[in-house]
Amino acid sequence: MAKENVKIEDISKPVEQLVKLTLDDLMPLPPPYDKPGEEPELTEPTPDWREKYVTDLDGYIAIDLPWKPKTKEEEEELVRKFLSGLQKLLDKENNWTFLQPLMLSVEYCARCQTCSDACPIYISSGRKEIYRPTYRAEVLRRIIKKYLTPGGKIKAKFTGDIDLNANTIIRLAEDAYRCTLCRRCTQTCPIGVDNGLISHEIRKLFSQEMGIAPKALHELGTVQHLQKGSSTGLTPDGFKDIIEFIEDDIEEKLGRRIKIPVDEKGAEILLIHNAGEYLSWPENPAAFAILFEEAGISWTLSSEQVAYDAVNYGVWYDDVQLARVATKHTEIAAKLEVDKIVVGECGHAHKAISVVADRVLADEYNIPRESCMPILWDIVRKKKINFDPEKNNFPVTLHDPCNMVRLMGVVEPQRKILRELCPQFREMEPHGVYNYCCGGGSGFAIMQSMNFPEWRSAVAARMKFKQTLEAFKDCISPEINKYLCAPCSNCKGAIRDMLDYYNAPEKCSIYYGGLVELMVNAMVDLEEPFIEWEFH
Amino acid sequence: MIWLQALVYFSFTVFVLVVLAKVVKYATMPIHLRWELYPVPHEKGRAEHGGSYFEEADWWKKPRETTLIGELKDMFMEMLFIKRVFEHKRPLWWFTYPFHTGIYLILTWFALVFIGAIFEIAGFPISAASVQQLGFLSWLSPLIYYLTWIVGVLAMALMLIFGLGLLFRRLGDEGMRSYSAPIDYFNLLFIIAVVATGIAAWQYDGDFAVARAFMKSLITFSPLPSISGATILHVTLLSLLFLYLPFTKMTHFFGKYFTYHKVLWEDEPNLRGGEIEKEVKKVLGYRISWSAPHMKPGMTWADEVLKVSPNEIDVWKKEEK
Repeated sequence: MAKENVKIEDISKPVEQLVKLTLDDLMPLPPPYDKPGEEPELTEPTPDWREKYVTDLDGYIAIDLPWKPKTKEEEEELVRKFLSGLQKLLDKENNWTFLQPLMLSVEYCARCQTCSDACPIYISSGRKEIYRPTYRAEVLRRIIKKYLTPGGKIKAKFTGDIDLNANTIIRLAEDAYRCTLCRRCTQTCPIGVDNGLISHEIRKLFSQEMGIAPKALHELGTVQHLQKGSSTGLTPDGFKDIIEFIEDDIEEKLGRRIKIPVDEKGAEILLIHNAGEYLSWPENPAAFAILFEEAGISWTLSSEQVAYDAVNYGVWYDDVQLARVATKHTEIAAKLEVDKIVVGECGHAHKAISVVADRVLADEYNIPRESCMPILWDIVRKKKINFDPEKNNFPVTLHDPCNMVRLMGVVEPQRKILRELCPQFREMEPHGVYNYCCGGGSGFAIMQSMNFPEWRSAVAARMKFKQTLEAFKDCISPEINKYLCAPCSNCKGAIRDMLDYYNAPEKCSIYYGGLVELMVNAMVDLEEPFIEWEFH
Repeated sequence: MIWLQALVYFSFTVFVLVVLAKVVKYATMPIHLRWELYPVPHEKGRAEHGGSYFEEADWWKKPRETTLIGELKDMFMEMLFIKRVFEHKRPLWWFTYPFHTGIYLILTWFALVFIGAIFEIAGFPISAASVQQLGFLSWLSPLIYYLTWIVGVLAMALMLIFGLGLLFRRLGDEGMRSYSAPIDYFNLLFIIAVVATGIAAWQYDGDFAVARAFMKSLITFSPLPSISGATILHVTLLSLLFLYLPFTKMTHFFGKYFTYHKVLWEDEPNLRGGEIEKEVKKVLGYRISWSAPHMKPGMTWADEVLKVSPNEIDVWKKEEK
């Protein structure tokens, strides 16, 4: 069934499944995971899934829609739609958003494979060809040359051939969701070719032309965000209830009540959190509230639909949805007459609103946007709050969210805080702009359908797990509580699932959380520790 | 030999025009969404750790500090040493670096032959002996003479040896071989053939005096000197290479400018009322024809964003047959 040494042309072959992963192939992990039986076995997709969904690439399902064509007509229709989408991807008006970067990357790759080893997924998988950064790019390049340029069919014999059929298309779509868009590969390219971007553009083609995207990103993601107010399904009323609950919680911990400002017109800052924080990690928005209030910052949250959820999943798969969500965020900020939008601990929301969507905003929607990190560092640097680093005297390491660091350049403020407040802070290797993705990048953290979480934890997050174990190797014993600081909701989600998958809280006492929790934990004013060492 | 001379003029003209057309094509593409990648070397005081102006609260109120030196440094490290391959794929670097050095040297050789030809046209012959007419600059003639020889021979040797090396590496490296198409081998073989015929022509022109005479004819539009069969073959192949080059990915010598300066290092913020905002307004007027259920084909980007109500947004559903 499975076929090794997969070639570019093999993507179109009529086999049930192109590649099969086994534990033996995967990158070995350091102690205590260096012995067999220390991690779960990989599973096979069920016959029902095979029937309904696309398991034809590696057996895993990212796109959880039953879109696999069943008849000859459906297959032909799929090819026709794919080509029409591809034409639009190369068209100025339809894809002004990325036309220049895309064309450059299609044109100039020398296939030197300098980028391959930069990819954590390719390496973690034991160098499976379908995960090589250049694989999907080369497939797309060959399709463009053969099917969309004059004389392409003849030239293809010379410039690299490929068959465009339904197999090619369904596998290419899945393969675009085996890259976390971390763009580590791009850092190594001598020509500046961006294979991460190619994954992004393939995803866009499927979404923007056919509406094909993982439900968690589209139907339950951006669409639900715009229609109901949040991709978590949280409504404005639900949001207000949670805020009250957080105020109660703060009162319990701080010994006095804080009124969390909501919809306060004219505040300096509109702070937006990833709404996942309210539901999964309410201690994070609580910590923000404590710090901002204690430091005397003028700020507010918004209870208006869309604006209490900083996420913008469009940044991973659809430019129009990206623009719709970003514009809604800034529209609400303008109504509140704030000076600026500040994004909480959410990496992709940072990048989406500050960097990528910067060029879809104009006039009243063009409101300054910034990261929370420099503000948090200012609190520490200017001693606006009294901290006692001894309260954080346990091993701490930092995960760098790709979107905030490599893709936005916010590198130092967060580590300055850790150096100041955590005596046992140690870096992972590599770190900063050369970090590895948590494995949850580009939407993977929230894609929980069928067997995708298994692939994410076993393959995509494997490098992060290895780095984490290595950073704590001097104190790996379960008797010592360790804190993996991940200032990003999606990274936290992926890390939670990763630690759980490898049973690391129990085996090694590795816990995870955000940055502000560590800051509040170090506050002199707090009698009880803020960090509770509970895995959730 | 008028046909050969015509071929040289023709292919050189086509080369320049097609390269220019391609540069114009990329330069006039619409503004794109920001997609920079850190480290961005012009971020003053921050490039070392890969930081950006976003590390500063209220960044838009403060002057943006950039450093051209930082950018040039990174650029030249890449251009002159192919730094990224050195760091990330050393085994390939041992081949590709000397090969590319050979290309730089052969371009230098052309420049030297051109300068030599200009000297000769001006009446100062290029030879191993010093030229008295040049007075205190009499050493210039032998300098050009020897430099041309050393640079030319070194360039040919590097390009031939490491061109073949790259060919064998492409065949020997599994990852490279399975991604290579016939054209990748053809390109290398083409260059190797041009260099090999160049070496053959050199056998009849040990000190490149004929090369200079050839250049003189090209500059002055006068008939070519008498040349060997090897030279005719070499010049023909070289002209064909020049005709072919601009249509291939080997134009990455200018493509790199765009990938770095216009994409990976392009971090210009869209400030209210600024030039970028004007550009943004223009592209938001472009029309969309995407046909997914959540799109309204025919609308402009601005209307897709502002005028489509969330409740009108449809999603993919399995069609019932």
